[in-house]
Amino acid sequence: MLAYLKFELRRMYREPRLLVLTIAMPVILFLALSPSITEQAKNPQDAKDTLAYLMVAWAAYGALIGTFSSGVGVSVERAAGWLRQLRITPLPPPIVVVCKAIACSLVAVPAVAMLSVIGIAKGVEFGGANLALLLVLVMWLGSIPFALVGLAVGFVLPPTLAQPASFLVSFSLAFAGGIFIPVNAMPATMQSVVRWTPSYRFNQNGVDILQHHAQSAASWAIIAGWALVFAALAALAYRRSAATK
Amino acid sequence: MTQAAVRLTDAVRLTGVTKTFGSVRAVDGLDLSIASGETVALLGPNGAGKSTTINMMLGLLAPAAGRIEVFGGSPQRAVSDGRIGAMLQDAGFVPNATVREMVDLARAVYARPLPAEEILRVAGLTDIAGRRLDKLSGGQSQRARFAFALAGNPNLLVLDEPTSAMDVASRQAFWAAMRAYAAGGKTILFATHYLEEADDFADRVIVVAGGRIVADGTGAQIKKVVGGRTVSFGLAGTGGADLWLPGVSAVDIRGDRAFLRSDDSDATVRALITSGRPFADLEIAGAGLEEAFLALTGKEA
Repeated sequence: MLAYLKFELRRMYREPRLLVLTIAMPVILFLALSPSITEQAKNPQDAKDTLAYLMVAWAAYGALIGTFSSGVGVSVERAAGWLRQLRITPLPPPIVVVCKAIACSLVAVPAVAMLSVIGIAKGVEFGGANLALLLVLVMWLGSIPFALVGLAVGFVLPPTLAQPASFLVSFSLAFAGGIFIPVNAMPATMQSVVRWTPSYRFNQNGVDILQHHAQSAASWAIIAGWALVFAALAALAYRRSAATK
Repeated sequence: MTQAAVRLTDAVRLTGVTKTFGSVRAVDGLDLSIASGETVALLGPNGAGKSTTINMMLGLLAPAAGRIEVFGGSPQRAVSDGRIGAMLQDAGFVPNATVREMVDLARAVYARPLPAEEILRVAGLTDIAGRRLDKLSGGQSQRARFAFALAGNPNLLVLDEPTSAMDVASRQAFWAAMRAYAAGGKTILFATHYLEEADDFADRVIVVAGGRIVADGTGAQIKKVVGGRTVSFGLAGTGGADLWLPGVSAVDIRGDRAFLRSDDSDATVRALITSGRPFADLEIAGAGLEEAFLALTGKEA
């Protein structure tokens, strides 16, 4: 099992597309957008809060897109016949799916770590290195639902359809998470819906750390709930795909 | 004890196995047993049901009816015990990993793998061990699949058209490796549509067509049935009498030309010449395999 996990992780780290998507893009967007937004701040404290919010939002964006799209990548492996190849080895199929989910979720780690380092350099105050580590941990665990829903999409759709579907789903999740527009700037009805999404809770958990708030049990319950739903979907999709191909 | 010993000798046993896809019967009531240590070729044209049969033996497809046993248990059991290694036609590799990493992975998932260097050497991959899997040529990638199948040192190797995309040199190296593996007492089953390949490398050739077994025997026996020649010549106005020369199994006259189907074209031609009858434009052609399969299936019906 560890050998397979290692094999998968090494492959991901060599995928240039994934590195651009999860690290380069959020970093560039953060660096490009933060000056104009912090300039509009009314006072230095407000500027700091906004900068911290932006940093978490772009880290969340990188983690979300990265974990989700690497999950969708299983579609290509399926089309190539790699999953069939694995199914005639003693490696049990559920272990393959679990390893994939772990490997995909770990894509969040470098994204969040890199944004934290850049954030600190730009003046975001963490209040201790352990909080930076906590942020990475919280955002890694929080991105598990995205890896799982990505796998579900990847097991159901062929690569040609997985690409556009992936864009649609990840964009909706990022939007609901308040990554493009802060949630409290949305209409009230939309806000009440968005509060139930895993991406909003995911982003909020990160913001809570920067604001020295305790982690919300409700947020984690919602994330865990979505993780279960998406895990069931991924398992179902896997069984369906194994039956047909 | 004796019963257990008897069970152990059969590597694969199929009883009344049927598989349908919609209205198509891909495999139609197949009965087959392969003893441990045998090297068996599954010979048949495309669409004969070879791949479907293999996929069922590996537990990738469930039969619609019938029973499949591999080493006395279910195919899934044999796979999870690491007793089967297989090279599938439609199985491929993923990018961003090297040949050596793929071999290491295969070794890690089997309980009793072969040494990595031996796998690379046998599959002819030593020189390209550091190459990425997505950068391999067709033949190299076929050898990489072979390495993956071989890595776990399985008791039963199942190969679905293993030499497609290989050049002549790779083909020879592949079969040499296969012979060495079989010599260690392993059971090998391979699907092919080349009669020569089946005859050269298998102890036993099973011919399938239309999802059924149409012939089962040694390469020489099968060759006699499906590998006949057609001897044809212009009759030079002598008519169609006395054409049942030695070896001839069928006579056909079209216009002024005779087409003799022969199991032993050498004897037929020798007799033709010594008979002293005039003839023109003598030709000897190998019967097409497709044609031979049709003849076999026709005979069966």
